[in-house]
Amino acid sequence: MLYYLNIWLASVRYSVVRTMMFRFDFILWSTVEFFWMSVNLLLVTVIYTHTDDIAGWSKYEMMLLVGTAMLIQRFLMGFFWSSLFEMGRNVRTGNFDFFLAQPGNIMFMATTRKLDLDGLINSVVAGGVVIYSAMQLGLQPSLTDVILYALMVACAVMIHYSAMVIITSLSFWITNTQGLESGYFTLFEFSRLPRQAFKGITRFVFVWALPVVVVTNIPAEILIHGFNFTDTLWFAGVTVFWFGLAVIIFHRGIRRYSSASS
Amino acid sequence: MLGTLNKYRHVFLVGLQSNIVYRWNFALRGFISLFHLIVVFTLWTAAYQGSTEIGGFNVQQTMTYFVMLLVLQFFIGAFNEDYEISEEIRNGLINQFLLKPINYFTYRFTIYIAARVVSGLLILVPLLIAFPFIKDYLTFPDELWRIALGLPSILLAGLIQFSIAYCFGMLTFWFLEIQGFVILSLALETLLGGQMFPLDLMPDWVFKISQCLPFYYQMYFPAAVLTGRIDQALAIQGLIVQIGWVVLLLGLNCFLWSRGLRRHTAVGG
Repeated sequence: MLYYLNIWLASVRYSVVRTMMFRFDFILWSTVEFFWMSVNLLLVTVIYTHTDDIAGWSKYEMMLLVGTAMLIQRFLMGFFWSSLFEMGRNVRTGNFDFFLAQPGNIMFMATTRKLDLDGLINSVVAGGVVIYSAMQLGLQPSLTDVILYALMVACAVMIHYSAMVIITSLSFWITNTQGLESGYFTLFEFSRLPRQAFKGITRFVFVWALPVVVVTNIPAEILIHGFNFTDTLWFAGVTVFWFGLAVIIFHRGIRRYSSASS
Repeated sequence: MLGTLNKYRHVFLVGLQSNIVYRWNFALRGFISLFHLIVVFTLWTAAYQGSTEIGGFNVQQTMTYFVMLLVLQFFIGAFNEDYEISEEIRNGLINQFLLKPINYFTYRFTIYIAARVVSGLLILVPLLIAFPFIKDYLTFPDELWRIALGLPSILLAGLIQFSIAYCFGMLTFWFLEIQGFVILSLALETLLGGQMFPLDLMPDWVFKISQCLPFYYQMYFPAAVLTGRIDQALAIQGLIVQIGWVVLLLGLNCFLWSRGLRRHTAVGG
């Protein structure tokens, strides 16, 4: 465990040095992400100037939900996106050999190598939105609720990570998964909506079959309404299911990997 | 004149062929846009639960606005024209145009029209599939002046869309990488072009400021005219300002092209 922590810390150091080399890029991309986050918050503000609730969620409850969605997305982008994006490309070009030769778990090595600091820096802003909304709602969550919220956010990142690993692993079978990867990002839009807003078939697909809506709704609801045993247990189960599926598909994929001629 | 038209007719046909190659890409993009439409429908129908009107418009009018935006996006939106122009400048591909009697702006604009014909027709496929689910939410005003003003405003909006993309492409003469600028501008255009929410829902003073910016005319304005969100007086006034922005942006394009060429170095044979 300590061995992997040391490897990960070395990756962090490498990513920090790299970011310092391209400072202008870091500032520009952080601004871009910050602006997009503001646009999403503005949408909530504008709608709530004309209505009092959306599917039973008040303005600041909705802000808390959007803040949670942004927090999860920033963590996913910051910790895993660059490595996962490169993994697909490496499988296509044959550079994936590099990871096979490393002394450690291949999935860990291939998916945690690069950190995106501009994604991570904005997680502070997203966290700020969550705290601000909680204050506006007059919430006083217990320490257990806060820890549980943090764990649920971690589980949500894990679920998204697993889904992305599955999509990227498809490049072991099909050549180009870039369309699918960007398609997955469209699903993030769903995570900013309350699950009560979904009706009929969309409720079945986006709330139950795909975990895109619950990943944000359950953590936000824990902070707003407190601990819910059924939701928490179900969420933990979903996390184990998706992560297990990702590990299986990734390792099945490696068996098909045939490198590229040099 | 006829010779010039003939020249660009061939460019159009080549553009059409090369874009038909990417038909699956456009089709996939169209189907992904349906997911965005599901998000919009879910959010706004939930917002309309407690009230019959938001900003003076009912749920059908607001949904029609968003469907119209989607159609316009595929018919006039600049997709990756900025990157293509940037690539041509960076790779030196524009050198060939400097030696031929071809206007680079007109050439790129013709390719853009060809690309939008293909993508515009392809978005109709997923929309036709979604039609049974959304038909109850569609309502169009029956005033004829809306079509008379709406159609030219679509063409002008296309020119604004392309001109902004062209300007960003021109930045490659000064900066090697334009991706950050483009995405920052995309966020601004998404917001002030009315793609996140109809601009008329913003506070009155913000709505008035947005009317002075080109983004208002590149998407919101034609959609608002055609779906009945603005009245005739505001539509006529808007069309005049829109023409003003087209002239201004075309002038800026010429300026950036001539200034950029002074910095451009054509290397190799």
